[in-house]
Amino acid sequence: MNRLQPRRPTGRKITNLLVAIWSVSSALLGIIILFWITQEVLWRGIRAIDLDFLTHLPTPPGVSGGGMVNALAGTAILTLLASVVAVPLGLWGGIFLAEFGQESRVADNCRFAANVLMGLPSIIVGVFAYALLVVPLKNFSGYAGALALAIIMLPVITRTTEDMLRLVPNTLREAALALGLPRWRVTLAIVFRGAKAGLLTGVLLAVARVSGETAPLLFTALNSPFWPRSLSEPMPNLTVTIFDYAMSPYPDWQSKAWGASLLITVGILILTLTTRWLLRERKR
Amino acid sequence: MMTAIKIKAESVLGSEPADSAQVLRNLGLASKISVRQLNFFYGEHQALFDNQLDIAAHQVTAIIGPSGCGKSTHIRVYNRIYELYRDQRASGEVLLDGENILRSDYDVMELRRRVGMIFQKPTPFPMSIYDNVAYGLRMHYKISKSETADRVEEALKRAALWDEIKDHLRRPGTSLSGGQQQRLCIARTIVVEPEVLLMDEPCSAIDPIATAKIEELIDELKKQYTIVIVTHNMQQAARVSDFTAFFFQGRIVEFGPTRQIFTNPRKKQTESYLTGRFG
Repeated sequence: MNRLQPRRPTGRKITNLLVAIWSVSSALLGIIILFWITQEVLWRGIRAIDLDFLTHLPTPPGVSGGGMVNALAGTAILTLLASVVAVPLGLWGGIFLAEFGQESRVADNCRFAANVLMGLPSIIVGVFAYALLVVPLKNFSGYAGALALAIIMLPVITRTTEDMLRLVPNTLREAALALGLPRWRVTLAIVFRGAKAGLLTGVLLAVARVSGETAPLLFTALNSPFWPRSLSEPMPNLTVTIFDYAMSPYPDWQSKAWGASLLITVGILILTLTTRWLLRERKR
Repeated sequence: MMTAIKIKAESVLGSEPADSAQVLRNLGLASKISVRQLNFFYGEHQALFDNQLDIAAHQVTAIIGPSGCGKSTHIRVYNRIYELYRDQRASGEVLLDGENILRSDYDVMELRRRVGMIFQKPTPFPMSIYDNVAYGLRMHYKISKSETADRVEEALKRAALWDEIKDHLRRPGTSLSGGQQQRLCIARTIVVEPEVLLMDEPCSAIDPIATAKIEELIDELKKQYTIVIVTHNMQQAARVSDFTAFFFQGRIVEFGPTRQIFTNPRKKQTESYLTGRFG
């Protein structure tokens, strides 16, 4: 038999080069767009932000000055309230899916429902909350807004919790069970600890996602130019304010919309950095 | 002594599969664990067939055999750890001090305190070295802080780890080297005062020096515990064990005193495996 002739490497090298160019340019495109948006928000937003912007109530169009401290507080309240509801529920749901339900029928259905809910356009969740709370009570309210946000958060937290818990190797569960620990302790004390970073990231992602939502608040929390006084009244919030202001014909309001956008962006950035700092590897 | 055993064993066994209960009885040893008619299934697939095995108290029993022959599956029944997976089930009897641990009303947490397990890969919990050992202790016993500290120290000393880590007890368990992690796992297991130690290839993921340390440790620990070690390292089985069971395709082919199994195996398959013809 003839000796085999190895393939010439030219074709492989060209393919390699093409794939490298393709992947690098895709990554660059993503990064460039991100920086473009951030830079635009930063330049236009920073001009609108001053001390008044952060400490005063909005003024009518034409009256200079004024800020959106009420909307800032409102968004914080709505997000917090939604988190208080959705984080524990989502964590427990994720625990069920990953630890107890696993491949059972109930778990499969829950997982499917969570996936569908996650893909649901957020405006539909808003309409749902509108029908559930706003119509019967004949009043836009903070409760309805928080409910809509919580519904959006729930499947995100559930699924990330499940994914993160599943990343914890079974050898760790076995080791803990083999020591005679009951199943709930294995989950809460060992598996949760192992997945801590991932779980917090999941929760954070959900918080970041809803703090930027506008559509579900349009017919639930609505908006208001006053301080948030009660959760059963329309609630001022940043995103709907951005929507209103950006659509307005007044340059002053448009500029303020940029300012509010910057506030949200910076807020999410701070949240992310804080979590990273909390989760940093502790070495002594 | 060995010849006496051999003659006795020969007269009892003939060409039939080794009856481990008989072997132990002839040597005047008590069995800590008696496995009777054990069958094991992964879903539809049967992995163990009619296993009969007696584990002598305060002795080291090695389980050897080629990959996939059911060695690990077999000892994973002893502490019912397989129950974590819903498609796995066992039938038959596993008697611990005469009580069938496979009965559904047997307290599985108490079982696992009495029958500890060391795994192939060291698995420190995501907590400090100290808490790795103290966690199980606090969970099973109500004892004071100072006694906990004493017992943690004692366990780490017996696992031959104390001198290396006594100044770093607050460091995470994962910061240790592989061999140290495995000794940490041994400390964590013996601190709850088990009666049986199951070791599922405890040295296969660690370096030779750490392996030597752990083998020394096994010799030390057998004074107090009944040890069952699964290994695919035949030299290791020969070095550390008193009895050896040879598994092949889910069946126990041969059981006997380690010396006899290694020098004068009765079964063709055992001999082929030991001489390296397969496996």
